[in-house]
Amino acid sequence: MARIVLENISKRFGKFTALDEISLQIEDGEFLVLLGPSGSGKTTLMYLIAGIYKPTVGRVFFDDLEVTKISPKDRNVGLVFQNWALYPHMKVYDNIAFPLTLKKMSKIHIDQKVRQVASMLKIDALLDRYPWQLSGGQQQRVAIARALVKEPKVLLFDEPLSNLDALLRLNVRAEIKRLQKDLQITSIYVTHDQAEALAIADRIAIINNGKLVQLGTPEEVYNNPEHTFVASFLGNPPMNLLNALLQKENEEISLRIDELQIQITERLCERLKNLSEVIVGFRPEHVELTDMPTDGVINIPAEIYTVEPMGREVFITVVVSGRIVKTICSQAERFSYKQKVFLKIKEENLLFFDPASGSRV
Amino acid sequence: MALKDVEVKKKMNQFLYTVVLLAFSLPIITGFSLLILSSFSNEMVTNFDFLKTFLTLQNWKLLFQGRIALTGGLRENILLYAFNTLIVALGVAVLTTFVGTISGYAISRMNFKGRKILLIMMLLLHALPGSVLIVGVYFLYRVSMPTNYQFIRYFSFFYVIIARAALEVPFSVWLMKGFFDMLPWEVEWSAIVDGASRWKVWYRIMLPLIKPGVVAVLIFGFLAGWQDIIYVRTFLIDKTLATFIESNLETEVAYMPLLAAAATFYLLPTVLFYVFSQQLLFKVYAGGIRR
Repeated sequence: MARIVLENISKRFGKFTALDEISLQIEDGEFLVLLGPSGSGKTTLMYLIAGIYKPTVGRVFFDDLEVTKISPKDRNVGLVFQNWALYPHMKVYDNIAFPLTLKKMSKIHIDQKVRQVASMLKIDALLDRYPWQLSGGQQQRVAIARALVKEPKVLLFDEPLSNLDALLRLNVRAEIKRLQKDLQITSIYVTHDQAEALAIADRIAIINNGKLVQLGTPEEVYNNPEHTFVASFLGNPPMNLLNALLQKENEEISLRIDELQIQITERLCERLKNLSEVIVGFRPEHVELTDMPTDGVINIPAEIYTVEPMGREVFITVVVSGRIVKTICSQAERFSYKQKVFLKIKEENLLFFDPASGSRV
Repeated sequence: MALKDVEVKKKMNQFLYTVVLLAFSLPIITGFSLLILSSFSNEMVTNFDFLKTFLTLQNWKLLFQGRIALTGGLRENILLYAFNTLIVALGVAVLTTFVGTISGYAISRMNFKGRKILLIMMLLLHALPGSVLIVGVYFLYRVSMPTNYQFIRYFSFFYVIIARAALEVPFSVWLMKGFFDMLPWEVEWSAIVDGASRWKVWYRIMLPLIKPGVVAVLIFGFLAGWQDIIYVRTFLIDKTLATFIESNLETEVAYMPLLAAAATFYLLPTVLFYVFSQQLLFKVYAGGIRR
């Protein structure tokens, strides 16, 4: 168990910059998720912590010990790979025992530990099978058992669920979270699946193009995205983002989306007065669809585009002056194609971003 | 109907393949059959004098008694020659495999200066025939190796094995590099993160995964050593089966059917290896790794 500190980490492969000045602190026993699209550098960052890659610039600390130049074999980290990387020529028992045999432990001691970890992960019945005789979920457990058996300071998961089918993924996800809470091992989990990240994390670090975009608890990053990237990456469907012009007429500011003009209150005017353009963001679940405009909230005229029943809720796509907006409604409501509606949004649910930098206003 | 059409075509192809393969291998099969038949006859079958020819086990009996002619007291220890051949073959096999697997791993997995040049040089070395290099090798041995007359007889085995293995190494390195290239990096990283050194990764994880490749290199090395004649003739004090047959072909007392028996005996391991290793060479060890 350890606190991990990344100090100004940059990693370049030739001319390509994979990671750009990332500083991050992961508390002892914390479950941190590195979230980002593929190619964003999140796996590279995890390999840097494992020691497989070495940073071009910057330092890595486990507790107060600098490990930047220490070989991965001496870092005592457990790593669960995306493809699990089990040793195909070894039985499950030997796979799990492998890290211990390298430590020159006594056979009895090894046996004891292997069986203990195996029973914790409920794979004790599979110990003398080969990896190819196991299902995906079982192989996954073996990989986790092998990572856990050496009692690592840090546990690293590299998209461990992406090779499992959808239903199994939900189960294993919950189990990994529970396991981490029981063992209190500092864990880092890499994924590109925002739902997985929100579900499992104590804190989420969102990475894009090798840069740390935002770091925070799932609630923070979901409710208060500091960047359009975060807003458009989290949530299913993600936040609606509309470009708008700010129209100023004698101290009063209104939003203009093409032909559409939306009046905003004075409190907002104060924040937006220095801008001429803005990106307006709002979550699909914060929109209500009504037939008539309502007083006291923002009303945007729209036309129904598609209706997608998802079981518990209904995804409704509407068109606002030629632009697609996603909303979520309860099952009870009925809408038909091309029906004219109004989007009803409370002003406090609107987020504003600077179109030039993408960051929050 | 379409399916039947395809099937007929397939059968035609099958037939064609068989005919072509037979046509190619017919001369070889005929040659070997005549050799083996001669070894069991009182006279070479290749004389085509079938009235005087009859089958006998006499040649094989004489061979193992160490007599190389029907008459006279010339005796040769054929079993010792077989043993010598085995030592050379095994030596070449083990050395080739060791060097091949270890450098194949390094070239496939490690980034070092001169890696590309090394690979190209290896290919170049492989392109040169062994007989061209023999003068140079001889010169090198003369200037650099100890020549103690008491031990030279045994020491000459090292001469042969090292020189002959060197000729096989480029091919085995390339073959092994190909096998190591196929293995996913994650398995290797996983082992390193688990606490293994590169050496341990190499022999506990990587080598078992490319077993078919290792066995293939072993077999190729063994056959190369077993079949070699020029290096054995140049450097070895003792005789092997190859040099025994070769030297006896030229003598006045040469009794051909007996030499045919010796040649058949000499051929056995080659045939056995090809029969038993065929399946293995096709097999690829996989499973547990999803890509």
